[in-house]
Amino acid sequence: MEELTVVGKPVTRVDVQEKVTGAAVYGYDLVLPDMVYGKVLFSSKAHARIKRIDTEKAKTYPGVVAVVTGKDAPWIHGEAIRDKPFLAQGKVRYVGEPVAAVAAVDEDTAQAAVRLIEVEYEDLPAYLSPEDACKPGAIPIHEDFASYRKMNFILPGAMPNVCEHFKLRTGDVEQGFRESDIVLEERYFVPTIQHAAMEPHSAHAQVDPATGKVTIWVANDAPFRALHEISEALGLPQEKIRFINPLQGGGFGSKGGLKVEPIAVALAYHTNGRPVRVKFNREETFISTLTRNEAALYIKSGVKKDGTIRAREMTIYWGGGAYAEKSPTVCIRGSLPGPGPYRISHVKVDGYAVYTNKPVAGSFRGYGIPKVAWACEQHTDELARRVGMDPLEFRMKNVFVDGDVSYWGEQLHSVGLKETLTKAAAAIEWGKKSSRVQEFKGLRVGKGLACIQKPTRSPTTSKAGVIVDAKGEVAVLAGTVEIGQGCSTILSQVAAEELKIPIEKIHMAELDTDAIPFDASTTSSRSTYHMGNAVRRAAIDAREKLAEMASPMLEGEKNDLAFADGKVFLKDHPGMALPLGEVIRRKLGADGTVRGDASYTYELAKELDLETGHSDNASAFYMYATQAAEVAVDEETGRVRVLRMSAAHDVGKAINPLNCAAQIEGGLAMGIGSALHEHMVVDDQGKVRNPSFLDYHLVTALDLPEMIPIVVECPEPEGPYGAKGLGEPGLAPTPAAIGNAVADAIGIRIYDLPLSPERVYRAIQENKKKVA
Amino acid sequence: MKKTIHVTLNGRPTNLEVPAHRLLLDLLRDEIGLTGTKEGCGTGDCGACTVLLDGKPVNSCLIFSGELDGADIVTIEGLKIGPELHPVQKAFIQDGGAQCGYCTPGMLMMAKSLLDENPDPSDEEIRFALSGNLCRCTGYAKIVQAVQDAAAELRAKRAG
Ligand code: FES
Ligand code: FES
Repeated sequence: MEELTVVGKPVTRVDVQEKVTGAAVYGYDLVLPDMVYGKVLFSSKAHARIKRIDTEKAKTYPGVVAVVTGKDAPWIHGEAIRDKPFLAQGKVRYVGEPVAAVAAVDEDTAQAAVRLIEVEYEDLPAYLSPEDACKPGAIPIHEDFASYRKMNFILPGAMPNVCEHFKLRTGDVEQGFRESDIVLEERYFVPTIQHAAMEPHSAHAQVDPATGKVTIWVANDAPFRALHEISEALGLPQEKIRFINPLQGGGFGSKGGLKVEPIAVALAYHTNGRPVRVKFNREETFISTLTRNEAALYIKSGVKKDGTIRAREMTIYWGGGAYAEKSPTVCIRGSLPGPGPYRISHVKVDGYAVYTNKPVAGSFRGYGIPKVAWACEQHTDELARRVGMDPLEFRMKNVFVDGDVSYWGEQLHSVGLKETLTKAAAAIEWGKKSSRVQEFKGLRVGKGLACIQKPTRSPTTSKAGVIVDAKGEVAVLAGTVEIGQGCSTILSQVAAEELKIPIEKIHMAELDTDAIPFDASTTSSRSTYHMGNAVRRAAIDAREKLAEMASPMLEGEKNDLAFADGKVFLKDHPGMALPLGEVIRRKLGADGTVRGDASYTYELAKELDLETGHSDNASAFYMYATQAAEVAVDEETGRVRVLRMSAAHDVGKAINPLNCAAQIEGGLAMGIGSALHEHMVVDDQGKVRNPSFLDYHLVTALDLPEMIPIVVECPEPEGPYGAKGLGEPGLAPTPAAIGNAVADAIGIRIYDLPLSPERVYRAIQENKKKVA
Repeated sequence: MKKTIHVTLNGRPTNLEVPAHRLLLDLLRDEIGLTGTKEGCGTGDCGACTVLLDGKPVNSCLIFSGELDGADIVTIEGLKIGPELHPVQKAFIQDGGAQCGYCTPGMLMMAKSLLDENPDPSDEEIRFALSGNLCRCTGYAKIVQAVQDAAAELRAKRAG
């Protein structure tokens, strides 16, 4: 292969200059001429019928431009399941559900008018845990569920409030348990947490009174998908809708789908063409946007004395909150590899996504894997302990390797898992007594590790355009959203590599659905692979066209030409060279451009089988990772301190090693927070108790240990330069690795997250009682 | 109730007519149009809105405009030294200190004020100084590295 000039190099971010000067404009910063300001009335009830809404006083309040309720916006949206009203329709399903909205000349006026809206409710029984909501006899949270539009992969459950039932059936688990020497059954639990991106949610919308065109300015991570969802809801053709993406101040899964957008659109239909800004403050962002699914996980395994895992059965209840959002696909893509990256002949999984009367849950970095890993990886350590094997050795014996057929029937390739295991373990001196026992005298020190395999959203498509102009500048048209992950740098590197143009000459075009080709979404760590492939091919297409144009100018065949440093030249006479801009200017004039286009689709051989969960190729690629933790536990207080943590991730090929390390560190920090203290507490009335950064504890600069990011490169043949993906797995094995280290330190297994001092302290006390 | 205040904003003397209860953060963002200062919480818990008030870092979401007469205010837009980026800005670029960048302006203002007071901070001192500035993206490691590198550059400048 030709030597790479910019791919694989630690290039600094292309978007960072404007970020360090304050010039960058985020969704929350956007100002539109003549805009009005929206505020929302949120439900105070977890589950209730709306008997009456009185908006009269709000409507006549000075400065108010519009007041809307569900009656004025009778639209329902949803992706996998179309179940969510723009504003509550006849009933509310969680505390925080938008019931009415006001637009006014300023925010204070809008807020004052919101307070004048009166709502009368009639309470209904509320279900605040997924296991309660699907018990026989539970009343439906969605009475009309049967008639909702659902995607073809949805398999509704037989139990109440189950909006998706994922099934995996391989071999015969009962036989597997009979053949085992040890059978172990456990229950794990992962509570609700929130994305807590530093930029709160907001959206701006405008409806053109003349054309009816709806324009939405929002930092959405999947503008084309959101456009489709709005189009279906409003019954408006797609060309009548336009999404423009300002910068996003982090999302982690919370800023896809529709959150504030429907409210802004509902208001914009009543403001005579004036744009509407709706900004959620932090508290509103906590209670009324998105959360991570809570999950109750039951896991049972049978293992032979020699350490072979024979059978594994899992039942997972994913708490979906009041609306489906992405819970059905979290359920599918989280439950499918839920039993872990292990060779097991007999596997049975039932995953249930269940409606509850809590804030909506759905996509969150890791897409289900952090929850299943919390259960599966601790359970796997327990099995190792019972057969008397070291947890690393036990995994090395059982994990997938190249050529294995997974329990969902897919032959795997490019499996870098073993390398991640050995490297992560070595980085914290696995197998050696902690060197810090002295330093942490009086504390119990231990080590633990956990590994994962993560699929990506499949099948999907990315399209891209690459435009070179007569100045030799390049515009990349790509629908991938810069959410902080660094895609603009990665895609610029890819375009620069193929065109052999200095990266400073590459610019990412503004993300506007009227001007940019289609992309499925910026989710699931799919972008480097899918959009990387599309941009690469579009750049090659442009390069071919440029070669065609240059060939007569340089009096050489196309095959005799080469590209470097923004020039095209004769291979045999490098002196015979033309800058690319010059080629275009000569042929097409000073306004001329050359455009390359490409589309990349990863196809499935066939859809996942709904009854068995089997597929020949469930995912475009798989990401593999192992993280290892060393912890110190204070038995007097229950406090867990992470001393150091390694994270080895198989990325296929690091297009930008600096960015890879940055993604891994960020994932680790989030994972450590979710392991030790993050928990969005919902009380018995369905109300969020800690909707602020004072009470919802994020990790600070003081809370983090030494982090050791390790990049493993086991190339994916279909990926650009061998690349897979990276962003999502960063936090997936973290809590389980810490949980295993805690168990190693104190000899007690803790089944529920977070590992807060109270919980750990209590577990220690109870254990003492038991022993006594 | 409107009030006229006289402030120095990013080095420029400025007269402003402000509603006394308007928060400094909203004054900057909504009335003056300086949106580089970010809002992450509005309740003093995240540091995204950090600006320098008379040389000291403050959460601008907690300061009433009416109290600002005579104040010297520096925001992210005023951090450059002439046309040049401040060393701490350069270091954030070099070391990968920003990802989504939303916490970055607040981080930079806090880091500058730390380096003004303490030209040779330890990692621990940097982490302590930045502990009120939340970042959800980076895990802070590259931010701490960037502040160290900026400190080194500033020391070299002073020496040289
Ligand atoms: S916005 Fe001021 S501290 Fe968060
Ligand atoms: S870079 Fe995104 S919050 Fe810090």
